[in-house]
Parts: sequence; structure tokens; C-alpha cells
Amino acid sequence: MTRRKFIRKLIEVGAALVVGAGWLTKKVVPRKFVWAAGLKKYPGSLKPLSDIHKQGKWSG
Amino acid sequence: MIAPGQSGECRVRINIDGVLRSVVYGYPCSLNVDPVEKKPLFHFLPGTKILSLATVGCNLHCRNCQNWEISQANPEDSQAFAYAPERLVELTRYSQCPSLAYTYTDPIIFYEYTYDTAKLAKSKGIRNVLVTAGYINAEPWKRLLRYIDAANIDLKGITDDFYRRVCSATLKPVQDALVLAKAAGVLVEVTNLIIPTLNDKPEEIRQLVRWVKANLGGETPLHFSRFFPRYKMRHLPSTSAETLDMAHEIAISEGMKYVYIGNIRSEAGQNTYCPACGTLLIERSQYTILKNHLKEGRCPDCSNQIYGIWTRSGGS
Repeated sequence: MTRRKFIRKLIEVGAALVVGAGWLTKKVVPRKFVWAAGLKKYPGSLKPLSDIHKQGKWSG
Repeated sequence: MIAPGQSGECRVRINIDGVLRSVVYGYPCSLNVDPVEKKPLFHFLPGTKILSLATVGCNLHCRNCQNWEISQANPEDSQAFAYAPERLVELTRYSQCPSLAYTYTDPIIFYEYTYDTAKLAKSKGIRNVLVTAGYINAEPWKRLLRYIDAANIDLKGITDDFYRRVCSATLKPVQDALVLAKAAGVLVEVTNLIIPTLNDKPEEIRQLVRWVKANLGGETPLHFSRFFPRYKMRHLPSTSAETLDMAHEIAISEGMKYVYIGNIRSEAGQNTYCPACGTLLIERSQYTILKNHLKEGRCPDCSNQIYGIWTRSGGS
């Protein structure tokens, strides 16, 4: 192996290690923000819209 | 971490095959047109109606929760309406409400639904209101605040011990959320529910008031709310009128400009007065506006600018 080929190989391995370490970090460190996708079907039951002009019974 | 097949603290976010799913997206359990004063918001479009919605679930488990039937419910045991953000915005316009409130439980647990709806509503000229405990991380909070006009945020107590014992939560994230909301230009009103024996000591109330004044400003409307025995705190009595009056006095003496008393009939504790000259500006009875003397957000006598969003077109 020539000196030039050896240096190129070294750079390739180094770059692969950096990319790998970055990927691993991303996988291991918990994400600060995860967007939750919706579901097509509600797990409970659905009800028809009633009189919305009646003041809500809940606080707030 | 939420394990596969399991839900989070809030009961409505589930890990399905490695993907986080919000099972309540587009499925509010409650949809009502309320007076905006009910939120309570006293400095935001007084006398207007607001379409208010909630899904089941909550990231807190307050032992005194007034809405525990929905906040602590499992989605599979509940009933809901099917209302995607587009339909919800249409319904708001159809109901002739100038604003939409994400309320009753906590919009933080139906974050994605709130975010998408608020973004769409804002683009259609509808204002967005959050009624929340503010228990959220900074990054998603800041992202959501871009579309929010006003918020009533609970400051349930001023000690970490109170948050841990009563709410299964911690104080610091709530304080951070309050500061971030104010810094983002959102109209912030603060509610403190006073619970006998748990957070009703004068020194504790003074400490809370001082924190609000130092970190959010003396112009921040502060609501002291009456506790009623509910859920896991049925053994405690309701908050007395004297305790609420005492909290009101402490806040005024500490330099808070707009202090209110809620969940109880109180003349002085429901009206808005000019902090500069003492003129009665807005007279209220429960959720009804009896008189509004404000002129373009200013006192009619001394022209002092009053903190709030007073007109549908403008800011404060």
C-alpha cells in the first residue's frame, strides 16, 4: 500500500467513525421534542356534536 | 421512556411499534362556547365568547383537580367528537367566536392538535388562548407560543414540595414556562388556587406574589381562586372568603396592579380598577361584564394604558 492510499484509508475510517459516533449519540440521547402522530381511529367511542352554545360544565 | 405498547403519564400518548402516537389528536371530549371571563381571562377581549375545547388526559395528577372526570380518564373509556383542526376552525367562525381556547384539561397533552389548530386559526384571524398548568419543556413551549395570543397559566404554589405532594410535578418548569410566555409577548394572566392548609399561609402567598412581580411584572393580572373539595381532597373545606380577601390585600400591598378573586361572589375582587387613579374600569358580575369604561385600552380619566388585549383588531 502506498503512503497516499494509506492516508486516504485513514481519512475514510476516521470519517466513518465520526458519522457512526454522531448516529449513536442521536440514538442514545433522549430527544428533547418528539412530535406524536395522530391515530385514525379513536380508542373510545364517538359522539355527535350537541349544543355547543351551552356553557361548558368544566372549570376553565 | 415509554415502552412499546405503553402510554405516558398523560394516558394519551402511546408508543406503537416504536412510533409515538397521540390518540386524542382531532378528538375533543368537550366543545363549548364560554364567556372568556370563565377561563379566567379579564384582560383579553372582555365580554366576548370563546370556543373552548379539551381532550381527555393530563400530565399532572392534582389531588384537588376540579375536572378529574376528564383529566384522569382513559381515552378508551371516554366519548369524543371527531373534529380535525380544519373543522374546528370552521366551527369557531360559524360560532362567531373571535378566539379559541385550549382548556379544561391541559393543552400540553394534546400538544400536536393544539399546535396545528392554533397555527391554522391564526392564519384565519382567530386568536388562540391556552389555559394550562405550564408543565412543559422550553423547546416545544416556545414553538407553540408563536401562535398564542393569551394564556392563563396556573401557579399552583410557590414551593417544589407543594407541586410534588399535590400535583405529582415540580415547580421549576412551570416558573420557566411563565417567564418564557411573557417574554414571547403572550398576554399572561396567572391563577393561584388557594387550598386550605396546603398553600394558604400569608407568608407563602406573599412569596408567590413577589415571584410574580419580580419575574412577570406588576401589571400581570393575578387571580386567586377558591378551592372546592373535589377528587382526592374531599376532606378539606372550601377556601373562606376571608382567606381570599387576605391574599388580595397581600398582592395589592406588594404592588400588583390587577388582582382578582374567583369562584366566589366578590365585588371588589372581580372589577378592574385603574392602578394610577383608582377609577373603576370594568365592572363584572361572575362572568358578565356590567360596564366597560375603557377607551381604546386606556383609563377614561387619566389615560393610563391598561395591560391587555382590548380590541379584536389590535394589541394592548
